[in-house]
Amino acid sequence: MKHVRVGLVVPSSNAGGAAAALGDRHLVTGVDHTAFPTFDPAATVTFYRDVLGFPVVHSICAAGWGPAGHPDFIHFFFDIGGGDRLAFFYYFGLAAPDLADGAGDVYARFPADTPIWFVHSRHLALHVESQEHLLEYRRRLDASEWPVEMQIQHETIESIYTHDPNGYMVEITRAMRPVTPQEDLDANLTIDALVDIAARPGHSMNDLLVRKAELITERAPRWDADRAGDQPASPQPAEAGR
Amino acid sequence: MTGRMFMLDVPENVSIVEAVHALPDVKVCRLGPYFVIESDAPISIPRRSTGVRHAVWYSFLAGLDGWRVAQWDKDALRTEAS
Repeated sequence: MKHVRVGLVVPSSNAGGAAAALGDRHLVTGVDHTAFPTFDPAATVTFYRDVLGFPVVHSICAAGWGPAGHPDFIHFFFDIGGGDRLAFFYYFGLAAPDLADGAGDVYARFPADTPIWFVHSRHLALHVESQEHLLEYRRRLDASEWPVEMQIQHETIESIYTHDPNGYMVEITRAMRPVTPQEDLDANLTIDALVDIAARPGHSMNDLLVRKAELITERAPRWDADRAGDQPASPQPAEAGR
Repeated sequence: MTGRMFMLDVPENVSIVEAVHALPDVKVCRLGPYFVIESDAPISIPRRSTGVRHAVWYSFLAGLDGWRVAQWDKDALRTEAS
């Protein structure tokens, strides 16, 4: 007998069969929740529920238990669409960090001279379907204490950015066009190349571009043939730009 | 030695390929969903000739064979023999 985490008791033979049937499938369906601490629950609720309009969909009031010194806490969740949720922890009696010096948010503080691109590299990006919807969120934020700090549009995406009351950077973004199948191939070649070179001391973008060219030469003709149902072809003169 | 530059065939990159066609002694082919730019000598692509803005300009390059990047800034992408 095998116990699975949800508490069901499943015969091991069935469990093995299920594993065989599911072994090559992508099974997750989205973000159940991603969680952040807050030291200002009132402002957090104002920002997410009242300004952005994200419903509160779940909360847990829990006495501190487990590790010694764990404070009592509230774990609360906002609906961010698609069945996904953004959650916060509020710990009673836990002192807030000193935000007077340095950069970052209430969870992660950095020296003041930390490059802002690094501080902003970790952020939450929420998706909308259209510019109309993006601008509606811009309108809501601009009427609040947390106006949009930056709006960027380039050839593939348009995004607005602000920081929530906890200092977490929040992006709302839309795609300017659908992602094409060849971009999925390209993404996989990039990541395979990166994995291949990442252990080399002093690796650089040039190393990645050289390794990726090798992978393109190896795999790109096969991808084309798979899509066309033909044999791999020799390079043909390009039509674009002619 | 012939060098090759690879670019993915996506709408944003087409104007870059068009600019490359105007360069001397450069051949443009296809390999799967990639454009392959070949030349016996390293090449330099002036950014302004492509008409693309920064987000595309600084991310269009997919691979290099026989070359490495010697310059990639707001003015040009220039390769040199590796």
